Amino acid sequence: MEYLASDKIAIVDLNTRDIIEDELDEDLVLDKIGGAGITKHLYDQHSAGNPIVLGTGLLTGTLVPGASLGIMTAKSPSTGKVSHVPLNLDAGMELKYSGFDYIVIKGSADKPVYLWIHDGILDINDAGDLWGKDTWAATDHIRDEMGDDLIQVLCIGQAGEKASDLAQIGINYWQSADRFGFGRLCGEKNLKLIAIRGMGLLEISEPEAFVEDCAELIAAIRSNNNTQKQGIAAVSAALGEEDLSDWLSPLTHRHMACFNTPVATNTFLFTDEDPALLEETTVTEPGFLFTDIFPLVVLKKAGLSAKDAGLVLKACAKYGIDGAAVAELSAKSGLTSPEEIEKTFPDLKGPVESTGKSVFSPWAAMGQDINANWERRQAVAYILGLHPIWLQMATDLTEKKLLDLAGLGTEMEFTPDTLDEVIGDILA
Amino acid sequence: MGIQIDALKCNACMACELACGYHRDDAFALLSSCIVPYRGREKKNYVGVILKEEDSLVAARPEGVEINRIGEEQDPEKEADASAKPMLLRESCDLCDEVDGGPLCITFCPTGAISMA
Repeated sequence: MEYLASDKIAIVDLNTRDIIEDELDEDLVLDKIGGAGITKHLYDQHSAGNPIVLGTGLLTGTLVPGASLGIMTAKSPSTGKVSHVPLNLDAGMELKYSGFDYIVIKGSADKPVYLWIHDGILDINDAGDLWGKDTWAATDHIRDEMGDDLIQVLCIGQAGEKASDLAQIGINYWQSADRFGFGRLCGEKNLKLIAIRGMGLLEISEPEAFVEDCAELIAAIRSNNNTQKQGIAAVSAALGEEDLSDWLSPLTHRHMACFNTPVATNTFLFTDEDPALLEETTVTEPGFLFTDIFPLVVLKKAGLSAKDAGLVLKACAKYGIDGAAVAELSAKSGLTSPEEIEKTFPDLKGPVESTGKSVFSPWAAMGQDINANWERRQAVAYILGLHPIWLQMATDLTEKKLLDLAGLGTEMEFTPDTLDEVIGDILA
Repeated sequence: MGIQIDALKCNACMACELACGYHRDDAFALLSSCIVPYRGREKKNYVGVILKEEDSLVAARPEGVEINRIGEEQDPEKEADASAKPMLLRESCDLCDEVDGGPLCITFCPTGAISMA
């Protein structure tokens, strides 16, 4: 695969520690396009090994507005269905530039390991030093050891290590959209974390035309009121969910966007520092980055202050437990103090309502029904590599436009019929 | 004439870095870009933008813009920035002088954080 790809797939066997590398076949791309289309295909091919498949969308990492998405595909221990967790923030981008297009992780290791994916090299390393660490300590340890603060770390905490059904795999210090218990799956495989760093380059078949189209899109997006929102509260309101602005704004530091995503869907709250501070704070942990609307809405309704919500979700992120599940269960028990809530973590169990019912994470289904329209739009996001929340707001990014861009970028032709088929396979 | 950056409008999306990287490499890559959102203080959410110019390294910090003349002694207390390829080794901003529509970083920034002075 010459364009918009590294042309490399790795099949990792954690039992034997063998790694097989292969090219990304153009016929596979013509047939399955990319992202969840290909990760699902690879899952099916290697299903005997109960694999976790990492991948990125066809357009991930390009100048297409919102092209930030990585994907983690596996059979959810909670639902039994082959499901997809969106890898946003900068993780999807880093995976795209890591030198690998897709990575299949089969089997289980006999003792704790981590994967270090860097510039086309995949190492399986001993994680003895990391097992038992919370996600913040583990992420810091990897970044310090490798001497690079920009390494993206998909990490489990103690919840995943104990194979809790509410365990989540996080992104660096933050909560991900894992509502499927992938954290438990990693723990069962003795896989503590996946560290990713890449300095790759993606060739473009028709660079000028492709970038011109992207420039037109961003101009349209900038002149559209709907795509001028910034921050998790504004996004929540725009999607028809509760407006969290008044509750969050007194402690809001800044809004942070996922890679190349025009609307910042994440908001950093300062719980232990003056949010008006512009200089770099001397406090080591001044606050928390909110990346998930649902737990915020639940915690707000339960009567927690924004500060306490920040402390609860930070504790969830460190322990590697799904904040949506914690919010739901704490609300049911009537707990409101962060300390009390944190004490429940080791014994907390599902089932919870917030578990993903579709194969796509409900993290992107705030304020809407999970119906056929929503699923289709999600499928397009996960195949082409667009941010699943952003794509719902970005009406200029039609299916036709995205398929045209895919063609301009790769010199291949992707038809609406192919897209329909790939979506059908993912939802089957 | 030069690139002006309002760091407070920046949401660290890196569109500018990707656009400039494309300008340098005619491909999608990040290593050659002259303009880089600073992401090395993730837990503190301290974010600014660094720009490599001909004679200076501009650090557009949230608290104000700092211009460091290349070749002049720097404050030894200050930590160096985190990036894959040190900024001083990168090419200097050419204001996309041969590009229709002007600087690509300005074209692609979604929040208007970058402008031309």
